[in-house]
Amino acid sequence: MRSHTFHDRANINVEVVVASFSTGERRKRLRGDKRVLEFAATIKATFEPVIRTSLYPRSQIDIYVQVLQQDGSTLQACINATTLALINAGIPMTDFVCAVTGGVHSTSPMLDLTTLEENDIPHVTVAVMPKTKKVVLVTMETRLHVDRFEEILNLARDAGAILHQEMKEAVLSRSASLIAMAEPVTKGQSRADDDVIVD
Amino acid sequence: MIAFTSFPPQADDAYRKTRHYKEQKDDEYMDLDNDEFDGPHAAKLTCPGESLTSSQDFMRGHGTYVDNEEVIASVAGTVERVNRLVTVRAASSRYNPEVGDLVVGRITEVQPRRWKVAANSRQDAVLMLSSVNLPGGVQRRKLESDELQMRTFFEEGDLLVAEVQAFFADGAMSLHTRSLKYGKLRNGQLVMIPPVLVRRLKSHFLTLPCNVDVILGLNGYIWISKHVKANEQEGEQGFDAEAVYSNQNDVRLSFLPFNRMNLNCARKDIDSATRTAISRVSNIIKILAAHFIPLSDTLLLDAYAWTMEQEASDVKRLLLEDYGDALVAAVASG
Amino acid sequence: MVEITIRKRPRSEAVITQRKFFKKTARGKVIKVLRERYLRDDVGCGIHNCRECSEACTPSSSLLPESGAEHSLFPDGHFVLPDTNVFLSQMDLLESSLFRPPIILLQTVVEEVRHRSLPLYNRLKALMAMDDKSIWTFYNEYRSETAVVREENETPNDRNDRGIRKATAWYKEHLQLNNPPVRGKAPRKLPTFVLLTEDAANRQKAEKEGLVSLSVRKYVEGMKDSPQLLDLLASIEADEIEPTRAAGGKQILYSEYLPSATLISGVKAGDLHQGHFNANQYNYLEGSVSVPAFTKPVLLIGRENMNRATSGDIVVVEVFPDSEWKAPADEVVDQDSTLKNDDVESGDEDEAEDDIVTRTESKVTSSEKRSSEKQPTGRVVGVIKRNWRPYVCHIDSTSLTSINSTSLSVQTVFATPVSRLLPRIRLRTRQAPSLIGQKILVSIDRWDVTSRYPEGHFVRALGKVESKEAEQESLLLEFDVPYRPFGKAILDCLPKEGEQWVVPPKSDTSPEWREREDLRSVTICSIDPPGCQDIDDALHARRLPNGNIEAGVHIADVSHFVHADTPMDSEAASRGTTVYLVDKRIDMLPSLLGTNLCSLRPYVERLAFSAIWELTPDADIVNVRFTKSVIASKAAFTYEEAQIRKDDPNQKDDLTEGIRLLNSIAIKLKAKRMAAGALNLASPEVKIHLDSSESSDPIDVEQKELRETNSLVEEFMLLANISVAQKIQETFPQTAVLRRHMPPPKTNFEKLQDILQKRKGLTLDVSSSGSLAASLDKCIDSEEPAFNTLVRIMATRCMLSAEYFCSGSVARDTFGHYGLASPIYTHFTSPIRRYADVLAHRQLAAAIGYSPLHPSLHGKSHVERILDVVNRRHRMAQMASRASVEFYVGLALKGREERNKASGAGAVTEEAFVIRTFRNGLGVFVSSLGIEGLIMFKNDLQQFDAENYTLSIPAPSGPPVTISVFDKVVVRIEVEKDKNTQRGRVKMTLVSPIDSKNM
Repeated sequence: MRSHTFHDRANINVEVVVASFSTGERRKRLRGDKRVLEFAATIKATFEPVIRTSLYPRSQIDIYVQVLQQDGSTLQACINATTLALINAGIPMTDFVCAVTGGVHSTSPMLDLTTLEENDIPHVTVAVMPKTKKVVLVTMETRLHVDRFEEILNLARDAGAILHQEMKEAVLSRSASLIAMAEPVTKGQSRADDDVIVD
Repeated sequence: MIAFTSFPPQADDAYRKTRHYKEQKDDEYMDLDNDEFDGPHAAKLTCPGESLTSSQDFMRGHGTYVDNEEVIASVAGTVERVNRLVTVRAASSRYNPEVGDLVVGRITEVQPRRWKVAANSRQDAVLMLSSVNLPGGVQRRKLESDELQMRTFFEEGDLLVAEVQAFFADGAMSLHTRSLKYGKLRNGQLVMIPPVLVRRLKSHFLTLPCNVDVILGLNGYIWISKHVKANEQEGEQGFDAEAVYSNQNDVRLSFLPFNRMNLNCARKDIDSATRTAISRVSNIIKILAAHFIPLSDTLLLDAYAWTMEQEASDVKRLLLEDYGDALVAAVASG
Repeated sequence: MVEITIRKRPRSEAVITQRKFFKKTARGKVIKVLRERYLRDDVGCGIHNCRECSEACTPSSSLLPESGAEHSLFPDGHFVLPDTNVFLSQMDLLESSLFRPPIILLQTVVEEVRHRSLPLYNRLKALMAMDDKSIWTFYNEYRSETAVVREENETPNDRNDRGIRKATAWYKEHLQLNNPPVRGKAPRKLPTFVLLTEDAANRQKAEKEGLVSLSVRKYVEGMKDSPQLLDLLASIEADEIEPTRAAGGKQILYSEYLPSATLISGVKAGDLHQGHFNANQYNYLEGSVSVPAFTKPVLLIGRENMNRATSGDIVVVEVFPDSEWKAPADEVVDQDSTLKNDDVESGDEDEAEDDIVTRTESKVTSSEKRSSEKQPTGRVVGVIKRNWRPYVCHIDSTSLTSINSTSLSVQTVFATPVSRLLPRIRLRTRQAPSLIGQKILVSIDRWDVTSRYPEGHFVRALGKVESKEAEQESLLLEFDVPYRPFGKAILDCLPKEGEQWVVPPKSDTSPEWREREDLRSVTICSIDPPGCQDIDDALHARRLPNGNIEAGVHIADVSHFVHADTPMDSEAASRGTTVYLVDKRIDMLPSLLGTNLCSLRPYVERLAFSAIWELTPDADIVNVRFTKSVIASKAAFTYEEAQIRKDDPNQKDDLTEGIRLLNSIAIKLKAKRMAAGALNLASPEVKIHLDSSESSDPIDVEQKELRETNSLVEEFMLLANISVAQKIQETFPQTAVLRRHMPPPKTNFEKLQDILQKRKGLTLDVSSSGSLAASLDKCIDSEEPAFNTLVRIMATRCMLSAEYFCSGSVARDTFGHYGLASPIYTHFTSPIRRYADVLAHRQLAAAIGYSPLHPSLHGKSHVERILDVVNRRHRMAQMASRASVEFYVGLALKGREERNKASGAGAVTEEAFVIRTFRNGLGVFVSSLGIEGLIMFKNDLQQFDAENYTLSIPAPSGPPVTISVFDKVVVRIEVEKDKNTQRGRVKMTLVSPIDSKNM
């Protein structure tokens, strides 16, 4: 482990486990799969520039992604879940990362594909940082015409912005509820310390 | 086997919504007005990427960064301001140590003249050999032989309570146990909760009337153990100096192997009532943590009393969801 | 910005969104598949003016009328929801143009139909696309209210039925909800939703749920045109109506098929074999199945062993042990003559009659007169997939019980398919007498073990036998050529100006001139067969200052008018090719384009796609470029005119010089091609002289003449195709549309080699196309110049046919074109009449950066799918035009016969070559007519030497006459009418060396 620590920043370690029962058809041997390793590498590369790793020298941030159920657009879901998990863990990031998978069926573009759709049509996964509108990840394993690509990329970026609104809403409402729950009791805390045997 | 039924009643309507986005809303500008900071609990929430204010007027604090002359939040939580300094406190995060904090930790590594301690912070804390009290009195000098037998003091996996002494350059904290209040922990159970739920109190050593001691580590690690009677405490008559670095819980004497038998010692085994009380307290803490309620001594007492009042006061039942909800409702309202 | 919608779903819905089913893998393992289903609330009901669904139903053209349709049972209008079985069994009814109530087609039904029968599914798809039907497909499985989940212990069928009922109920409720009663007005009468099903249990359940449900017969009886429609009902119902014909007393003629699980596991284990069933066109009691396990096809002898398989079915066969293997019969067995006396009604039951049939047949099948090598023999034990389609048939007049034309009683009659590969079909009809002498379309419904013949139902009459319309239509149907006129949506894709469309004046702004080269000043001409209207190519050549020659091929720019993904494009893709019949052309594109706007007519400006080469005087390519252009052809020649012009030394104008230049290059190109090993093949091509364009009565037949100019045009087309193929393959290595001709397997030539060796002492080297070409050149009989052509024709038949393919789908080393000896080839030069050329045009346009490639052409699977269709259409089109020629040859012969009779010259006789010998007959080829015929001997007197392909026939006087393959004989050709079916057929008898009239 020591070899993986950096003196000036945190190391990000991503491990992805895909449950064998996660797909519609049970499949074995998903663990040491090259695809899964690549998946992890993709997530790592996506988040490295976003997490403010320099705040945590000589430490490691472990991201464990467990896919329990999937039906297409898995990378998209993994990245969005990771974003939320990191925010929930209070790890400083410069921005959200919002990913979405887009595809094109003959000429009509579509978003958030299911497995069946992914198998059939060319698709791209795009992750954006909504504030700066920077694209942090584009991955495509199928062939797609340049013109279509541009169309999809733009659509996916728009969709990323919308996802950002959704995620922001969720993050804020969770933070609010956490803080709200913590509040009333803290207020009443000064009430009576006397009952306690203080040593 | 899942039972398939047609169309169950649609319960959670909150999720059943379709949202159409025709065009993007602009991020509403969230500049901080000075007045807004005046209220004591102006819980202004933000999340990563939100710009807070201009960097020319304010200084960036924790949980923020500056980009393009703007102070931008990097964590989700409440915005706080002290004069010109803007910070964002995360709603939940790892433990941020401060000097003087009381922490509970676990030894992960033994290194030359130091131990590494996992204390729920970003990096492992360091406990120097020079920062511990060794058997034989406070004034004892550290010898080379002590370096060689460090494992007899603390081993990997041992739990201890300590105080934050200082910080290293890279932000790692240095601990010390140079007080008889601190040191190795035994006769109890560890519960880990989010550190924000442990607020700074007058004292973090609590003794509950049910014959249970609680150590509230500020790092969110909480130690619940059998009560140590006042006369057995440090310096008193019943103090067992041998037990400071002992790896054994208190047991009935008859269980001890003969050579370990110490007739001088007044150690008693942990009776089942105490064991039940320990589990009860730890379950209560777990429930409160699950509901994200900050711990306090009174709260613990209330909760303990409440559970004892219930008819079915079986400890295991505490972990049932509705029971926990009832508990929270009862104590949080009072 | 596009509208993006986020749908969230409560977790409690997960139970109904999962679809569970079991799938069997290729290895036979059963796996459970759970598939998530995404339910929505915005699946439209498809009814016009529905308040709730107006947004969801976007394709407004296919909406159903608000008030349904009229029906005697439902005065307030109604909609029809047929269940799966209705589509499976009554497709003909639904396809009838008289049957046009608004149909709501449920997704459950569509999926079940696809699951059960692919051909029917394809018909259903065509039905959905028809303009004159109002059909709305309701995706009930995706609407949250109508989705159903299979309950425990529920069969999939029951689940689907329940789904269909649920959808019907939903519609009923939906309509009520959206038509709330308005106070002060009488409540509007709402149309009824009628569930059509043949399943009585389902009907009962539906009625219990308060739904209206009818059987198809009941429903049709209440319609306006019920008498016509009732006849279209499939015979499945016959059992229901007339239970008197109990199956119990019937004799079982065929063995039952094995259960499909046994078949599949047997095939996997190698005990059974799967393949396409091929009926033998010479012997109706014999068929074969090519299976991968044997090099020779598995032989099926006798009716029992063929076990109800029909031509084209995918069947599973069991192979007998080696000791029972047999050789194919070398005898001709004709169904019509053998089974003349088989009675329709009683054929199955009457023992005595049956015995006769069985005896004759067994005599035929068990005959010892089998020669040559044995091959695997077996029997059919199951049918994986039926290849049933509507067949063109004649009614067998002898099978009628009453020929009283007024009789409307139901009769069972035999329908004899036109194709010799098919068995007779038993048919029940009320209009039998009126159908005699007509060509009719018949569908097979089923073939029971107790029935010697398949049972079918009448679809429609095509017209009188030998009337040109009926013959033409039957031909088109038989070869599955789409011949409906172009629909409105397709015609809407044509330029608005119609006939008046012209190339706009040259300007930088007009889209027509964008990146087009102006070649209007170049001396371009076209050379085509006489009467050609769709001119898709034109040529030019001129000398360049540097001594080289510039040659250009200009192809009609069809892709300028036919854009991808338009109705016109999809129609062209599904038609695949223009079909040329003798007197009719079935266009691939609307004629406005084909014969006018795209046709490179002379003296007008036309858009073209040009390939322009710079060639050395030795015809080596210096460079080639492709460009879109505007040309103005200076002349349109026929081959003959061009030839005359070229040969006339007095003509010295630019056009003539251009032709001469082109010709000189073409000669060199051809020489190069031949040197590279290209084959010079021959196929019998004849030309029909038509009397006049109106009557289209053929007067005579003659062989097509080939001139130098034919070869000129051909060479340049080949050059263009090859250059284009290289270019698009380079640019689109994955999806280029190419054409290849696979080298034939050597075994294909074995028989021909053997015959040549034995009869003529000639050898055929088939190791490569070059050596084949060389050895074909040596096959010369000095006395018989036509011999070489004959060998070439026979060699051509040994080869595989060329096919289109997608460059990404096959290995690079199989791209070659065997016949042309070119490493790469495509079709580019006839976009008006071939769809593959349109694709090649689009790809080339993208390759030169003229226009972006349509996304669909990037998808390998999409291109493959299109090319599969085009290949099939292409094959069918060839067969159709050949059949059309045959029909006209028959007519012409009849005409000649009559003329001869009138002038007292006797029967028509022609010289012919023997190409095949049978034990009781000869196969001959009449080269002057381009037809093949069969000479049969009734008497059993002849000696057959299979080894040497020789038949010796005892002559009434003198020594026996021997006839072998390649011998020249004289045949008498007569056209006779089959008495029973009125089917005209060519009958040949031998005149010389021996008259076989009485044999």
